[in-house]
Amino acid sequence: MTHVLEHEAVPEEGSNPLGISGIEFIEFATSKPQALGVLLEKMGFRPIARHRSREVELYRQGSMNIVVNSQPADLPHTVDPTETPVISAFALRVRDAEAAFQRVRDMGAWEIPVRARAMELNIPAIHGAGESLIYLVDRQDEFSIYDIDFRAIPSVETKPPAIGGLHFFGIVQYIGPDRTADWVWFYSQLFGFTPLPDRVRFGIMPKGLLLQSPCRSFFLQLIEPDDNARYAAAQEHLQRIGFGTSDVMATVTLLEKRGIEFLTSEKVQASDRGALTKPSLGSVMFELVHDESGIAARPK
Amino acid sequence: MIIRDFGMDTATLAGPLDAKLVAIRRAGFSQVMVSASEVVGHPGGVDAGIRAVRESGLAVTGLETLRDFEGLDGQLHAYKVDVAKSMLQLCHDLGGRLLVVEASTSSHANTGADAIIRDLRTLAMLAIPKGVDIAYKGVSSSRTAGNFASAGEFVLRANCRNLGLAIDAFDILAAKTPLDDLDAIDPEQIFVVQLSDFGWQSIQSIADDKAARTRFRVFPGEGAHSADLAALVGKLDALGYVGTYSLDVHNDDYQQMPPDMVVNRARRAVEWLEETVLRRALPVPNIERLRRTAES
Repeated sequence: MTHVLEHEAVPEEGSNPLGISGIEFIEFATSKPQALGVLLEKMGFRPIARHRSREVELYRQGSMNIVVNSQPADLPHTVDPTETPVISAFALRVRDAEAAFQRVRDMGAWEIPVRARAMELNIPAIHGAGESLIYLVDRQDEFSIYDIDFRAIPSVETKPPAIGGLHFFGIVQYIGPDRTADWVWFYSQLFGFTPLPDRVRFGIMPKGLLLQSPCRSFFLQLIEPDDNARYAAAQEHLQRIGFGTSDVMATVTLLEKRGIEFLTSEKVQASDRGALTKPSLGSVMFELVHDESGIAARPK
Repeated sequence: MIIRDFGMDTATLAGPLDAKLVAIRRAGFSQVMVSASEVVGHPGGVDAGIRAVRESGLAVTGLETLRDFEGLDGQLHAYKVDVAKSMLQLCHDLGGRLLVVEASTSSHANTGADAIIRDLRTLAMLAIPKGVDIAYKGVSSSRTAGNFASAGEFVLRANCRNLGLAIDAFDILAAKTPLDDLDAIDPEQIFVVQLSDFGWQSIQSIADDKAARTRFRVFPGEGAHSADLAALVGKLDALGYVGTYSLDVHNDDYQQMPPDMVVNRARRAVEWLEETVLRRALPVPNIERLRRTAES
């Protein structure tokens, strides 16, 4: 992993045409928001605010925002059972959301109508993997998008610290057979992501192809089905979130104390490189990845 | 015989979609090229049309036809993007992975290469989240790409993984295109080949071309250019083309015959091609085809 991070500190303007600077939030959709809330709290997130008019809650720890959307109309149609939480969207911080939206739409991104979005603000969204969306959010300086749409839950700490320095490291996207080249094209052309060579690997789940964000602060991991699953491949979807932490084993210990269980099988078990939580609520898993760059390397 | 590499085209047969699908399946074909209008026009509604295709046991070769897409500006372009999205969604819903796009015949289209390439790239990008490939097809009446060579030039310059060519044998036979022109095409970029012949020795006028194209096509082996058609398929095979041959035969007579009789002619056409051109004693298991079947 070193040779990538040594590469260059500041991306050139041309390689980051939208001025992307990290993930603003990741959204889950579920008809059982309390159950997911309990799980998120075990992972160190705190409920911060509720949407003013919709069944949407905001959770936060450190630099990370997670939005839980249980608005019936927003639940995916292809997930069974419907209470299984799914990652329904992620939001990219960009220099100018409207300009970015115009650009990617001209290039062939699908515009998603406003009514199908968790936020009431006019946050542009496009079609991502499967039924998921990609939001484009203006970089915030003074005030945040949450100030308008959300009402703070009284007497909660609005900026709870992150357990073990957890931060968004990446999102794992399950794709169809032979679809890697398509998705690499999609993310590189529209957003300026860069595919990393096979020798660059993070964590303990080394499959698939890694795409690095143009701001170099997070990754997308594209995973095609195994050979024996090729013929019954599921719909493409965002499968799990990866959190970076500088000390995986210490963070595992902290999270285990909070009731999170980690996988310990012959193939997958927690190590200094990473760890994977046991699936809960159907299929929700979180991955920990050793990442020294951490918060210090993040813009903003 | 299992007919692996050949598909039927719903437009070749008369009658309701469900009956066509049954006839195609009964004749031993494993895949079908679907006309969007037949799904949308299903008497039970679009959802019933989609269900009929998905439950037919046939893999979907692709969906046809998006027309007059490229080279438009402003509102016309925005309108066509909406049409394209609708067809891509339909293709996805059918379990198909290919949309056939005919080069524009619109007199309003900008024929500048940059505009065409830009629009083809947009279309290819629109298709990616839906898992669909775009097969761009030159047509003789087009102002943007009049043949496969010209369409192939645009595909090459647009340079998108999921943008390739549909090659229609009729066009090559009608225009007497030299087969060596295919040498300039990367076989990986040929996403589907449509096969048909016609009964006349030659095409003398634009009116002839239109009539033969839309009304008097016949199956391979039944027409006046069997040797040329055999040479074309042999050439594609030699170049390394391993995709589908779709029997795309627009014929007024077939529109008045029971689908079972027409698919039997199609079957004979496949046998003729297998025996005279491809000489495939043992069909190679087609992994791609199996996968599509499993997905659909």
